[in-house]
Amino acid sequence: MNLQECYSAIGGDYQDALKRLMNERIVQKFVFKFLDDPSFDNLIRSMDEKDYKEAFRAAHTIKGVCQNLSFSRLCDSSSRLTEALREEKSENYQVLLEQVKADYEKTASGIRELKASV
Amino acid sequence: MNSRNRFVQKILIVDDSEMNRDILSEMLGNEYEIIEAENGEEAIAILQQKNAEISLVLLDIVMPVMDGYEVLSVMNSNNWISDVPVIMISSESSTAIIDRAYELGVTDFISRPFDALIVRRRVVNTILLYAKQKELEAMVAEQIYEKEKNSSLMVTILSHIVEFRNGESGLHVLHVQAYTEIMLRHLVEITDKYKLTNDDISLIAKASALHDIGKISISDEILNKPGRLTTEEFEIMKTHSSVGAAMLSELSVYENEPLVKVAYEICRWHHERYDGRGYPDGLKEEEIPISAQMVALADVYDALTSKRVYKNAFSHETAVNMILNGECGTFNPVVLECFKSVADDLEKESKTDASDYILKKEMINVTDEMLQHGEFSASERTLNMLKYERMKSNFFSTVSNEVWFEYTEAPAMITFSGYGAEKLGIKEYIMNPMESEELGSIINRKDILALSNMLRNTTPDQPVIQYDCEVNCNGNKEYVRIVCRSVWSPDDNAKFSGAMGKFVQIDEETGSNFLEDFSQQDALTGLWNYEASKKRIQRILANKKNEQYILAVIDIDGLENANEKYGHSFGDCLLLHMAERVCRRIRRKDIASRAGGDEILIFMECESEIEKAVNRIFAVLGEENAIYSVSVCMGVAKTEKETDSYEKLFHMAKQALQAAKNSGKGQLRFYDSSMENSVSELSPIDETSL
Repeated sequence: MNLQECYSAIGGDYQDALKRLMNERIVQKFVFKFLDDPSFDNLIRSMDEKDYKEAFRAAHTIKGVCQNLSFSRLCDSSSRLTEALREEKSENYQVLLEQVKADYEKTASGIRELKASV
Repeated sequence: MNSRNRFVQKILIVDDSEMNRDILSEMLGNEYEIIEAENGEEAIAILQQKNAEISLVLLDIVMPVMDGYEVLSVMNSNNWISDVPVIMISSESSTAIIDRAYELGVTDFISRPFDALIVRRRVVNTILLYAKQKELEAMVAEQIYEKEKNSSLMVTILSHIVEFRNGESGLHVLHVQAYTEIMLRHLVEITDKYKLTNDDISLIAKASALHDIGKISISDEILNKPGRLTTEEFEIMKTHSSVGAAMLSELSVYENEPLVKVAYEICRWHHERYDGRGYPDGLKEEEIPISAQMVALADVYDALTSKRVYKNAFSHETAVNMILNGECGTFNPVVLECFKSVADDLEKESKTDASDYILKKEMINVTDEMLQHGEFSASERTLNMLKYERMKSNFFSTVSNEVWFEYTEAPAMITFSGYGAEKLGIKEYIMNPMESEELGSIINRKDILALSNMLRNTTPDQPVIQYDCEVNCNGNKEYVRIVCRSVWSPDDNAKFSGAMGKFVQIDEETGSNFLEDFSQQDALTGLWNYEASKKRIQRILANKKNEQYILAVIDIDGLENANEKYGHSFGDCLLLHMAERVCRRIRRKDIASRAGGDEILIFMECESEIEKAVNRIFAVLGEENAIYSVSVCMGVAKTEKETDSYEKLFHMAKQALQAAKNSGKGQLRFYDSSMENSVSELSPIDETSL
């Protein structure tokens, strides 16, 4: 699996990331770094603890990071969760969170697979 | 160090996501020094400390602890926003949010996703723009100040020449100026008919000083005649208004200067009357410029209330009544109304020292101008910071009830804190302390000499000493400890330039040993020194139960070569830089020290994912830097049950470091037992070299 294949597997826009981040080395560096970002764990924990302010910030950060890496799929679901948290539409939290979890897992496993093959 | 500070712009990135900070750093490349903060509070602390050094702030909005808006408010209330440009970086895209950011003074807005080209271009543009603006502000402020100063000075000299010939005190000109200004300021409050700005008012007031310059052409006999003038004499006297105006209009080069234009109006028409019966041109009503109308009234009021060769002074009330009753000419009803409302202020003014008033006014005008043309420039802020530091140390020296002193070599002078001087019963400032009898009566001359020698024998690296001796406090002999540090010139060729210190009562001393505290720090990096860290680590290891710790030793690759190639100060600079990076990444309870020449030691408790934490520190240390690319090798040892001695742990870390170095530059190794074979390459732990 190469970087580009990884992007298609996780629903990202490789060309966009490449264009903005200048070169493949940098894109790959930050894609790998994505695994170290604590925001997802933060999100899960604060949702468990019903600390929705913190959850908003965590979701917001995930969204920001995904925008920067052009992880479109996870960006979509995390922005929807961010907006629900901002507007305190608590009836939607669970469904949106599940989607973010699913997308995050797919993204993370795609990156791990790439890491294993590099 | 200094050269680095001067040439490399510092950019502060404030974002709660490390990832986003890293992406931005990467995009900005190595042309800038990047300082990072992960929330608003950290950002404010850094701005407070580094102040004008920061060239640009990249600021996120949504952050824990303190968000971007709050950072902007603090920057606004401290006026930092005018010197330090802020670019907002956010994934927010609603216009309300963007508008609010602009209202709070951000220069630009970059939304996510970041595009390297856009980020770079905006950063460069903003920094350039601000640099240019600061330069211009400084130039404008300087010019305004010079111009104000010069023209005020010239006007004052000129008008005094006239006064001098008139045999008057010089107060007349200043009074007319002050009255004119007071009345004009009130005039613009009651009517907007005349469209006068603040600047116009200042200009008219200034020009009013010239209203009588034409009198220079009038002969002494007429000008200073004690009795009433004859008709012929009065005709001659009346020419002073047109002569003054002609003098100004003949200044062909400057005739278009606003000051000259206004002064012309005032000179020529300050004896016109509202009913058209004045001189020289018989202008009436609004044909007479408002400047001349006001000066005419101010002139009349001051003439009435002052003593002249031909008359005594009238009281304020009489003068006001005479003017309002039309006994001294006819005036514009608006102008009279104005006069009536501020009459009390005029009276007060006539009693205060007018010159003081004008000077103060002048100062306010200059500062106003400077404020309008931009906030304080960087150099002024540096001065403000200095002032602040002075204020702080003054305050603490006053409230702390301690004897503090400062000594400077040139001029040779000792300064005691206020309390100190009082307690010792001596002056706060003592010149030439070595020869001073006054100081000699407090402390034995031999003690002064000994102290002076000890200070001169210190080094910039080890500046702190203590000295116990007897001191005569207002007649009572007390035994004190003098703790002080020498101060050295900042250049490479450090020279002793002074000292500072305080007296500690030995009987009151609660077991704290100042020297020990100071000697535990490494002078260059501010980290612990090796001995101090060793003691601390041993203490922790002795008390440890189930916790695990790691000890890491870090070595900068190729530092020896760098020292040879670029000199030792370059190496120092690198070490200091590394120390700063280490400090930024460790927690308060962790220990970082300088272990021997070029090595840095870190000791920290292992929490969940120690490898990640170590990796992160390692990555930060190896990051590319604005000036040089540098890599480090790092050896790490973990405490095991059986390895709880400091020596063993340190030995293991050193072996891991050796293993790392053996495999090249920029390597990280955790200790494992296979490295035990490389013992031979290391001398047994050589404590003496540390």
